[in-house]
Amino acid sequence: MRDVAVIGVGMIQFGRRDEDTLMDMLAYASLKALDDAGLGDGTVDAVYVGNMAAGMLQHQSAVASSLVDRLSLLPAAADVVENGPASGGSAVKNGLLAVASGYYDTVLVTGGEKMREVTGWRATDIVATMTHPEAEYPYGITLPGMAGMFTRLYMEKYGVTREMLVAVALKNQEIGALNPYAHVEMALDKNGIFNSPHSIVNNPMAADPLHLYDACPVSDGAAAIVITALDKIKNPAKAPVLIAGFGQATDTQTLQERDDPTDLKAVTLAAQQAFERAKMKPSDIHVAELHDAFTILEIAESEHVGFFKKGEGGKAALDGKTRLGGQIPINVSGGLKARGHPVGGTGVAQICDLTWQLRHELPKERQVKNAKTGLSVNFGGFGNNVLAFVLRRVDS
Amino acid sequence: MKRELGIVAYKCKKCGRLHYPFHDRCLACRSRDFEKVKPQGTPRLLTYTRIYNLPWGIEGRYLIIGVVEFENGVKAMGQIPVDEKEPLTNGMLLHATWEPVRVQYGENVYGLVLRPE
Repeated sequence: MRDVAVIGVGMIQFGRRDEDTLMDMLAYASLKALDDAGLGDGTVDAVYVGNMAAGMLQHQSAVASSLVDRLSLLPAAADVVENGPASGGSAVKNGLLAVASGYYDTVLVTGGEKMREVTGWRATDIVATMTHPEAEYPYGITLPGMAGMFTRLYMEKYGVTREMLVAVALKNQEIGALNPYAHVEMALDKNGIFNSPHSIVNNPMAADPLHLYDACPVSDGAAAIVITALDKIKNPAKAPVLIAGFGQATDTQTLQERDDPTDLKAVTLAAQQAFERAKMKPSDIHVAELHDAFTILEIAESEHVGFFKKGEGGKAALDGKTRLGGQIPINVSGGLKARGHPVGGTGVAQICDLTWQLRHELPKERQVKNAKTGLSVNFGGFGNNVLAFVLRRVDS
Repeated sequence: MKRELGIVAYKCKKCGRLHYPFHDRCLACRSRDFEKVKPQGTPRLLTYTRIYNLPWGIEGRYLIIGVVEFENGVKAMGQIPVDEKEPLTNGMLLHATWEPVRVQYGENVYGLVLRPE
């Protein structure tokens, strides 16, 4: 297997982008990544597009075929990869394996979703179609609802408190407000969302015990990366970022069939595989992008990947250990909570953000000093299909 | 007319693991040999949530959903149609019925409905 490195990244601002179609967004992010890789008028061997629901949201299929046509990348191979909210991560994986195997040399991976085209009512239903079609979906369960039930169990078992969840929301929106690509450009005031008369109005219950500001926004957006074989890179303009390891694992579709519903086994296994492949351990990681679709997930994932012991992630967040400058900075991009969550794009956006970190290209208020290694976790379904990537800066 | 609970769980004849919903192979030993099991006894609430951002197809201001375990070990999701202020706690006992839980394409879809005893 060949070593594979990220040589170009591109993203557009997430948010509500009424003026752009899904294809516009995928094309804009892809062009930025091609330019960043020095392939402005060049081509790639293959394109993988992470997208969950264009068929339902835009009544459009085969978006990868449309993208290569629009970008004049013909006759590059082109495929859509669908894995729910982990579609982006799965697209990165497919590109990685294609280059690592030696079949292709250079691949474009783009992920994106246009979710604000439909009402929130409709988008919530479309995302809920990933739940079990007989045992879950008919009841009206939503992903926030799954997260609410999970949170109740996690609080009961590990003593996670509302204040710990709020600490994650405050941290991610504070730093996300500094990210020009973030959907949410507003820091939060603790008094405004927690234990005050204002908080009852500002931060209503969404899926109890989770409140509005425990959840990520529903976003339009896209991100893209260009990857190539490390041994093909000559005199790079920017430090290549090696995809040193990846892992992927699955779990039961329904929460109730897990021996312990608070145990995110697929997160643990995916991270272990990624660390093993990279010959690293959790303490070697300098910065992480975890899938905080809900605040509880950042806490739970920080434990399941091995940054903290089970039951200690909430206190770590409260104590500032996951802030920039802390023991392990998590979601310095703002995470899904602030950057937003165009479901098919998130897994690719995480790699973009880590690449900027490892190239040391971010302004100092968001840059992890001397960061050389990063971890991403892209969480599909409700933890039933998870990908993890370990990245490492390659210094010449 | 009171309807029988429409849930069928599957007990692996080789290792005894109970499954709901159906799997073609046992999650524990991969056997394909199952015995059908109906949920029995009083269900106990394992976890629940009150959802205020509802999906398309569900009417109302909120929806309460929970997961229960019946006395014979069958676990299933169901709706809990009580007032949002009604106190619920993990571990409480509920009464199970089989009733319409939503309407799809003009037809009632039946499912597990749970109420405090």
